[in-house]
Amino acid sequence: MNQGKTTKQMIIEGLKSQRDRPVYNADTINKISREFEEWKNSAVSIENRKHYDITPHLLLGTDLPRGLVYSPIDIKFFDYGEDLGFPGKHPYTRGIHSNMYRGRKFTIRQLAGFAGPEDTNERIKFLLDNGATGVNIVFDIPTIQEYDSDSPAARGEVGMGGVAIDSVNDVELLFKDVPIDKVSVSLVTHYPTNTAILFAMYLVMAERRGVSWEKLRGSVQNDMIMEEVVRGGLEFIPPKECFRTQCDNISFIRTHVPKWNCITFNGYNLREAGTSAVTETAVAMANAIETLKELVERGHSAEWIAERISFFWDAASDFFVEIARLRAARRLWYRIMKYRFAADNDKAMLMRCHVQTSGLSLTSEEPMNNIVRAAYQALAAVLGGTQSLHVSSYDEAYSVPTEAASLVSLRTQQIIQEETAISAVVDPLGGSFYVEALTDELEKKILDEIDEIEKMGGIVEAINRGWLHKRITEYAHHENRMKEESAIKIVAHNYYKLGGGTAAIDVFRYRSGVEERQRQKIEKLKQQRDNTAVKKSLYRLREACLKHENVLPYCIEASRADATEGEIAQVFRESFGLWHPPMRW
Amino acid sequence: MQSDNIKIAIATLGLEAHWKGAVTVAQMLREFSVEVVYIGNAFPEEIIEVAIQEDVGIVGVSSLSGGHLALGRDLISLACKKNIKDKVVFIIGGVFPPNDYTELRNLGFDGVFGPGTPGEKIYNFIRKAVTVKKA
Repeated sequence: MNQGKTTKQMIIEGLKSQRDRPVYNADTINKISREFEEWKNSAVSIENRKHYDITPHLLLGTDLPRGLVYSPIDIKFFDYGEDLGFPGKHPYTRGIHSNMYRGRKFTIRQLAGFAGPEDTNERIKFLLDNGATGVNIVFDIPTIQEYDSDSPAARGEVGMGGVAIDSVNDVELLFKDVPIDKVSVSLVTHYPTNTAILFAMYLVMAERRGVSWEKLRGSVQNDMIMEEVVRGGLEFIPPKECFRTQCDNISFIRTHVPKWNCITFNGYNLREAGTSAVTETAVAMANAIETLKELVERGHSAEWIAERISFFWDAASDFFVEIARLRAARRLWYRIMKYRFAADNDKAMLMRCHVQTSGLSLTSEEPMNNIVRAAYQALAAVLGGTQSLHVSSYDEAYSVPTEAASLVSLRTQQIIQEETAISAVVDPLGGSFYVEALTDELEKKILDEIDEIEKMGGIVEAINRGWLHKRITEYAHHENRMKEESAIKIVAHNYYKLGGGTAAIDVFRYRSGVEERQRQKIEKLKQQRDNTAVKKSLYRLREACLKHENVLPYCIEASRADATEGEIAQVFRESFGLWHPPMRW
Repeated sequence: MQSDNIKIAIATLGLEAHWKGAVTVAQMLREFSVEVVYIGNAFPEEIIEVAIQEDVGIVGVSSLSGGHLALGRDLISLACKKNIKDKVVFIIGGVFPPNDYTELRNLGFDGVFGPGTPGEKIYNFIRKAVTVKKA
């Protein structure tokens, strides 16, 4: 399809001659331009005239210059139909639903995960009982990195930053008494390989409970950027195989678990590792484009897949940029689907997203200030039209959140929903000269960066070459320097600093005994299960890896046989081989 | 600025997936002309082995996901076993509950640093600590 042309070229060609609803005519713009010049030269102070555009430096900032004030001349070619439209209609700048939050409130989806599955199960029920409308499970480091709790590598880290999962039995404990046929469950399985394992276990758990796969609603992350670029770790599989596993998962899930979102292109963690809103969005979308291309080659329809993909964005501190970015991403994704993939199914053109407020922006100094930071970021996400939201908790510069801190995060969302009337009106900032100008500029910059990646040979190649690794490391270094020089101001950290100023808050105490409990469960499991069946299932998985068959059905088979996560992961490592990621240092 | 030939080995503890803190500290110290041996993810055995082979004055480790006490303890006790605890300065950085700062010091870490610690503070600390250990 359209061989040789980049996405940017296709969009530019597609957009020609469609702009037939201009908001301003040339005459109006000329008059306003003259008045603007007069005003600038007479009323604006000399200092502000000289530095009319300033570039705010913020954490995870995008360094866009800002004028003193915005007017129609900043969006002179603004076309109501092509640039804005109505909510739920092309180009979806204003939101993916016609009734937006009046029709459906954004989902309050707080992360939960610590200690063993038994403990996290309690937290899930606590959040649901208090009005959370979705579940968001975060796993501990050994589970994310695909080692069993009894592996020497896992020592000391079991159940620390998330919940420890080793086998289907743990997944059953995790969701005990949680109505998985009703509640939407997000599994933060960052990587394609751990998605293939943990989601397989989730499906087997549903099977054992007698809940059909068609009823399951939720999402997995399944993002190769997470596995190959964002994380640090000991063992990596090659990008090509990682990308293939990502696509295997999508293909299987889309076919067999129809209500499940088969991939969440994760901008968030890349952003937090160190990058701007532009790169965050461009990389996620470049991955999405390449993924759809691959699935089309495998015989699927791009539109059918696109109906079940979603995005995950950071809400960092640059308030209007974060709002404009969500609007820009929605419009750009529509244009990509329409002009790059020739889609005409509306559902396939929607940029659905989950937003999390920036963990990086939280300080250990005066931690209660973090509630304020997160609230502004959450507000930006809602004004930008997110579908679901996680508000980071005030104590996260110290540990995973306490129950009290999670409750404040939950309440922050409920206050926005119920006490501010923000949800009454769709896209309240639509038409703002400033927000529309930012939206245009961000969309353009994101598309330029997608173009840069495509010209490099695509996202897998950009990873292979180390382009992305280098980009985020350099950004992080530069940002750190600006922080040290207080060019980036952080209240109570490097600006308005009080002496001392450490926490006077309760923090989460990691529970002891989790590692031992997980260890005992694995030992018992290995005694009770049919070990020949496990071996056979792992052998078949190995064959599938080597013969380029879809790996997910074989992971399900292994999970049914009660293979552990570490056993399944070892098959991936052995059959795909290991890759040495580009040095960050 | 003078480095006085300070050499540090920097590692991310165990399976820790966050690399940014370790890389940032490595970069900051390099700007103070400290010689950095960047190990990446590693377990205590490897870290101590590299520290001995490279003859470093300081070992700096990073942990953000809760493994700091268990792996920190392993690291220090291995350093004692290999007789380098008295010669080498051990520092740890990352995300820790407030009480664990004291606990990490009690384990034997010479310095414990939270998120956002300025490079200069770490540099001044290690420069002083290295001199003390050498004496």
